[in-house]
Formats: sequence, C-alpha cells, structure tokens
Amino acid sequence: MIQVENLHKSFGKVKALTSVSFTASNGQITGLLGPNGAGKTTCLRILYTLLHPDQGWAKIDGFDTIKDTQEVQRHIGALPDSHGLYPRLTTRENIRYYGQLHGLNGEELEKRTDRLIQLLDMQDIELRRTDGFSSGQRVKVAIARALVHQPQNVLLDEPTNGLDVMSTRSMRDFIRSLRDEGKCVLLSSHIMQEISALCDQIVILNRGEVVASGTPENILSKTGKTNLEDAFVAAIGSEEGLER
Amino acid sequence: MKDSLQRTYIVFKKEALDNLRDRRSLLSALLSTIIGPGLLLLMIIIVGKSLLRDQTENKLKLNVIGAENAPTLMMFLKQNNVEVVPGPADPEEAVRNGDVNIVLVIPKTYGEDFEQGHPAAVQVIMDSSRQSAISDIQRVSRLLDNYSEAIGSLRLMTRGISPTVTDVLAVETVDLSTPQTQVLIFLNMMPYFIIMVVFVGGMYVIIDTTAGERERGSLEPLLINPVARSEFVMGKLLASIPFAILSVFVTLLAFALSFNAFPIEDYIGYPMSIDLRALVGIFIISLPMILLASAVQMIITSFTRSFKEAQTYVGFLPLIPALPGIGLAFMPIKARLWTMMIPTFGQQLLINQMMRGEPIDPLNIIVSTAVTTLAAIALIFVAIHLYRQERLLFGAK
Repeated sequence: MIQVENLHKSFGKVKALTSVSFTASNGQITGLLGPNGAGKTTCLRILYTLLHPDQGWAKIDGFDTIKDTQEVQRHIGALPDSHGLYPRLTTRENIRYYGQLHGLNGEELEKRTDRLIQLLDMQDIELRRTDGFSSGQRVKVAIARALVHQPQNVLLDEPTNGLDVMSTRSMRDFIRSLRDEGKCVLLSSHIMQEISALCDQIVILNRGEVVASGTPENILSKTGKTNLEDAFVAAIGSEEGLER
Repeated sequence: MKDSLQRTYIVFKKEALDNLRDRRSLLSALLSTIIGPGLLLLMIIIVGKSLLRDQTENKLKLNVIGAENAPTLMMFLKQNNVEVVPGPADPEEAVRNGDVNIVLVIPKTYGEDFEQGHPAAVQVIMDSSRQSAISDIQRVSRLLDNYSEAIGSLRLMTRGISPTVTDVLAVETVDLSTPQTQVLIFLNMMPYFIIMVVFVGGMYVIIDTTAGERERGSLEPLLINPVARSEFVMGKLLASIPFAILSVFVTLLAFALSFNAFPIEDYIGYPMSIDLRALVGIFIISLPMILLASAVQMIITSFTRSFKEAQTYVGFLPLIPALPGIGLAFMPIKARLWTMMIPTFGQQLLINQMMRGEPIDPLNIIVSTAVTTLAAIALIFVAIHLYRQERLLFGAK
C-alpha cells in the first residue's frame, strides 16, 4: 500500500508539487494522470526515495520514505523515467545484478530470473548483451530486474512510452497480472486512454496539484460529464494529454 | 556490516566485469602505460647518440674561402682532423639556406697583417640559431682560438717573454658530469610518467560507473535498490583500483624491460639499467596515490553530466600533481619531512631518490604514505556526501 500525504516539492523557484495526497491500495492499479510537467515523475521519485519532499510524507507499507529508506526500497519495484540497461551485460546478468543487490543469490535468484524471463517472453534475448535492444525489449528487461525481488508495490513511470501496439498490449496484460496477484500498482501516464484502459483508481494531477481522484465512475459523477475524456478536460482545464 | 560488505562487493564485481568487457577503454588504459617508457627510451637514445658523436670526433669538412692566403693555418686545421674544402661563391646565402654549417673567409690582407704582427682578420660565417650546427661552430672557434694562442706564444717567446705572462688566471674546470649523468636527467621524468599512469589507469572505470551510468540512464533505477550510497561509492571506487594497479605495474614492467633487456649500450655507448628494487619501491609508494586519484575522480564525476564532460575534467586532473614533477627534473628539491606531507609531491621526490639510488629515510616513506592515505579517506567521505545528494540524479545544476 502506498500513502502520500500533503507532498510539497520545489526545485529552486519552480514548484513541482503543491500539496499532493492520495492512497493506492493492494490489488488495484492506481493511475497518476496529468499533462507533461504536472509533477508525476517528481511524485514517483519521492516515492522511490530519490527525492526528499519539502513538506508532507510518503509511506510504503507503512515505512516512511525518508526515515526507513532501505525498508521502502525493499518493498518497491520501480520502472523509473530513465531505465537504461548495462549494454555490456546480458539480459540475465542485468537482472541478476539487481537481484544480488536485493540480497538474493544462488538457485533462488536463478529460479526467479527464469520465471520472469518466461513471464515476459524474453527467452530469445536471455543470453544476449543488451546493446542494440529495441525499446520493447529494453522495457521488458528493466521491468524484470525491478521485480526480481518480488516487491509488493510496483511503481511504473510511463511504462508504455515508446512501445508499439503489440508491446503495449502485452505490457498492459502484464500489469493486470500483477494486480491479480494482489500487488499495489501505481503507474503514471500523460495519456488518458492508457489510464482508462488499465486503472481501477485515477489521480489526476495538474501543475503539482491533485485536481480530481477516485474510480472512473466517481470522476465522471464529480465532473458531471458522461465520458472520461470530457471529465479529464474539465478537470485539468485543457485538452493537453488526449490522444489524437 | 557483513551485508554492507557483501553489497559493496556485488557492486565492485559487476563494475569490474562490465569494464573488463569494455575493450576500448581497456586498450587505451594499457596503451597509456607504454607511452611513458617508450618516450623516455627514445629521448635517451637520441640524446645519447648525439653525446656519443661528440666523444669521437669525425673529420670536419670546413668550407674555406681564400685558403691560399693562410697556408700555415690550413696546415694546423688539417693536423686537427679538419678537411679543408673550397667555399661556396656566396657564403652568406649558403649558410642562410643551410647548405653549409659554417664558412671560414680569409681575406687577401691576412698574410700581410700576419707578418707584421697585427691582428689578422678572419671571418667565420655561421648561424648560431641552428642547433645542428652548434657543435661544428664550437669546434671551429676552439681551433681558431688554439691557433691564435699558439702563434701568440711563439711571438712572445721570440721576444724573450714567457708566454705565461699573458695567462692571468689558471682556470681549471672539473666537469663531473659524465655522459651517463647527462642521460640520467631524463630519468628525472619518471615521477611525471608515474603520476600520469596513476591517474589514467582507473580513470575510465570511474567515469563509466558514474557519469557514464548517468548518461546511459541506468543511474536512477540503480539508486532505487536497497544499497547505501556509501556502498555504491566504495564498490565503484574499488572497481577502478585493480585497473590502476595493473596500469602502474605494466608501466614499471615496461621500464624494466626497456632498460634492462633492450641493448641501450649499442646506442649510447655505455650500459645503463634501472635497479629492479627501485621499481618495486615505486610500485609500493604508488598505491596510496591510486586511492587518492580514484577518490578525487569520484568527486569530479559526481557532477559531470556526460562521459565526455567527465573525460575533459578528469583528463586534465593529472596535470595538477604532474607539473611540480616536471619542475623537479630541472630544479631538484631535497626530500624533507615537510615535503612528504604534500600528497603526490612527496612520492615524486621519493621516486627521484629511488631512481638515483640514493639512501631513503624510511620515515619519509611512512609519512608520505600515511598522509596520502588519510587524504584519500577524507576525500572518499566527501564523495559519499556528494553521492547522497538529490542533485546526483541530474548532474551539476
């Protein structure tokens, strides 16, 4: 479970977040939706302990991101905004490195790696160095290494960005399967259709603030609109972020 | 504690393996180790050869215009291993063009002046800015001086005066330099080469694992793992150490091979070798410098945004400690205790002492090693502090 309470964050004069609060529950996919520059990545970076909030707090499974940094890191798996791989290491070695950093080793680590390779359909690239991989292949490896320690909470920053239609479909299926395992999935996107296709809960961010949140039905009734697209436009006050 | 060491080791192992697979940086690191000894050997051979040539004088071909005007002078020159050849029509043009090094012009008035005991004018046309002509020029003017002196003495004697009357001073110069010590000046460059390789050997690993990691976009996901920043810093820093140690070792091995196996004697006329014990000593006192270099490089790469930017800054870094080292080649400073307090400077003095085979105060080695190691540890703490900051993610802002 992920709890975020009254987060504030500024970079110099730029206010990236001004009072952001929400909760993401286990067994649900929660979507952070907002146009570019709304504060999605900043919010996620605070959750995966890379940034410190100026005000407010964030907790993962009850652990505070500032006070219990390593405990938080053990309970999350993240696909951050940049997810570069090591080009001179093979797929398997990339995954193994992260597993070892989580304290896994030996047969247990190899078994989990095998399972992820199968689940994400990466048998053909398992022993290849990642240099020259396609975007789809790279995202798969990045996801696999992020989940090798089987975290309860999964944070994905624009997971389908730059993927083709087929890769996007299989990525969505994979995210749903994580939810069905009972995990707490938090993903960000600037594309409304992406969020509406996947999410059980939606948090709409604009200019560092939560402008609407709840289930899709909730948001429709709050904004008084009949479809999500209109609701989104009403919530953020512009058409930015709609797929055309 | 055990877990922390374990994680540091995992980071270390991954970075070492990753960089071992990077053939390009491996190759350039190793090539840089060969440059020092190669350059030094080349300089010694070239300088040694020119020294050797001075020792056994060849027959000097001297262009003379008006040789018929001074038959006794010509005789004297021939007796002194000079071959007199007729001069070019335009001597100044010929010297300016570099066709001949030196032209001696004897005017028609020479014989008359000589007989009457007046100073007889002769003209030496040369270009003193031409390095290759200098030894010929010196030789000719020395011969002319000798001739002038000899005739002067004879003249005094015929007048019943002792020629020694004109010698006010009896100057005796005792030149202790042997060709060997002249060549040894170049061995004073040794500290410079060692500093270079200490700083370059592990440089690529440090840049690749920090600025390179940021440029590839693999830094952000890496930092999300439950690993303390101090463990990342230590693992990455330690991964560079074997590369640097290997580079220093290969450099010293190349020195040993080039000076002890290469037939230098054939080129400079006398045997020359480097004491293997000196090389071992240099290796040992280089170790704390390697730690220091890696720590400074970690600090620099904490704010550089790309591989190239890091390479620029880190590439200039060795010049700072190396400059005093180059100065040492020309302006020797004695190894005192206070000089040992300056990291890298103390070691350079010690390297010089080892190369010259001078006795070394063990206290100096202990102090320089201790001070440098402590400085390195302090810098590692600074690096860890920098790697804990948020801005690490973005580079300098």
